[in-house]
Amino acid sequence: MTIILDVPGGSMASRPAHFIWMLDCSGSMGVNGKIGELNFAIREAIPEMQQAAQSNPAASLLVRAISFASGASWHIEEPTPVDRFTWDDVHTYGATDMGAAFRMAAAALQTPPMPQRALPPVLALVSDGQPTDDWRSGLRAIDDTPWGKRAVRVAVAIGDDADKSMLKEFLGNPELEPLLAKNPRQLAAAIRWMSTAVVKEASAPKIEDAAPVNVSPVVPLTKDETDIW
Amino acid sequence: MSATGTSAAVWELLDGGVKGVAKKFSQDRGQALVTAGGRAVVLAVADGHGSRAHFRSEMGARWAVEKFTSCARVYAQEAVRRGDDAANLPRLLAEARTLPQQVVHAWRRRVLTHEANSPAHGGNTTSSGPAPAAAGGSAPEADLAVYGSTLIGVVLTERLLVCWQLGDGDIVLVDEDGTTRMPLYTGPDMGDETESLCEPEAWRKARLHWQPLTGGGPPPGVLISTDGLSKSFADHEGFLAFASGVRSRAASHGVAAVQAQLPDWLGHAAKYSGDDATLAGAFPVIGRTPARPGPDNDDSH
Repeated sequence: MTIILDVPGGSMASRPAHFIWMLDCSGSMGVNGKIGELNFAIREAIPEMQQAAQSNPAASLLVRAISFASGASWHIEEPTPVDRFTWDDVHTYGATDMGAAFRMAAAALQTPPMPQRALPPVLALVSDGQPTDDWRSGLRAIDDTPWGKRAVRVAVAIGDDADKSMLKEFLGNPELEPLLAKNPRQLAAAIRWMSTAVVKEASAPKIEDAAPVNVSPVVPLTKDETDIW
Repeated sequence: MSATGTSAAVWELLDGGVKGVAKKFSQDRGQALVTAGGRAVVLAVADGHGSRAHFRSEMGARWAVEKFTSCARVYAQEAVRRGDDAANLPRLLAEARTLPQQVVHAWRRRVLTHEANSPAHGGNTTSSGPAPAAAGGSAPEADLAVYGSTLIGVVLTERLLVCWQLGDGDIVLVDEDGTTRMPLYTGPDMGDETESLCEPEAWRKARLHWQPLTGGGPPPGVLISTDGLSKSFADHEGFLAFASGVRSRAASHGVAAVQAQLPDWLGHAAKYSGDDATLAGAFPVIGRTPARPGPDNDDSH
């Protein structure tokens, strides 16, 4: 039997949870197939991301992406409902202007355009190198926005050349470390974790200290594997 | 649902709560009761923080409501006894200002007793690492954050409305024509951050609404709720319309009918907020000839 609820008041709606990829597309990402593996990992993680979002109907997960190299640009500008989210490959094109990406994200995290009624956004940063512009002012711009300071932040360092101390500063919590990916399998695991566990935690109510990044995956090398990045 | 008083007001009460979708259990608590010989109402809701670092917050919320109710009943008794004389209002206001400190102290004592018997972290660590040693380097410091909770409370008599709020949640007063007011509203919350009973000197963060009812008597509807209810609405106006609608349906269909539907309404809301949703309310029925209460029907809900 269907019970029709005649609830007084206005309409109800789940709260949006914004997820923003910030992806390093500098020239070095073209070395040893990193950019290809990143594209593959993000695309492969989409079904699991959709499942993770479905497990919490109280959140509406919206995904977009920024790529940065010489400057930064929206790779996917429209906050896209995860059930309609698809992935077009990003390509390498120059330097590592991470600060430009941060400033772009900061502009998106202002209210408006971000609504006040929302769950904390997720900022997911992936990089293999040293920033080539003023990333600190960009990070300050994020921290100066109401949602930026509340954002759940996660980061992946690809290979030994990534600036891990800078990524740690981005995380904004001395207890947290960036994930380290030295081969395609570790990168895929990190991307999958960002797309599932982090999404799940961030879209649950009362996440102020859930600290999903504390339980980040450790993917040991198997016998036949070597570090290639 | 209803209780009678010795004066011209008869109070009808509403309360209910549901757990959030996908949660194992609720960390909210709520209570509505008539006290002071039927001449006052006490309402309370508390919202335990519910995340990993607050894994005993359902206890914190339960004790928040218990301790507030205990202190508020004493206050309500005094408000009824002395509230008819306007000269007593400054004293009652001063006592209203000190009530949060009493509640916080009582809550802390209850938490610390529980901690002494059943340490949250095995007796030697806090949630964020080793506990700092107390002066003298012996006993570990209790991690009150484990029990963190918000608290909203109301004392309502025919002459006085007093509301206290620590942390998030909502208090809505509904007038006869359906107009709503939120006396302690501080604007929309961003995310799920909140002030908490577990903070040091938490009483300093408690907000107070003091309203002698010198004009038309008690508001026709007083509703308090945890944030899981208001966050389910697409906008703030929708939530206010809900409060107004609850009161108008209580007037037209009776509070018992509203009480019967309340779990379904809250359950519907919890699907959207994802959070526990708890509501308590009071509706004075002015002019009904009350029956004199017996000694054991003081707290009727």
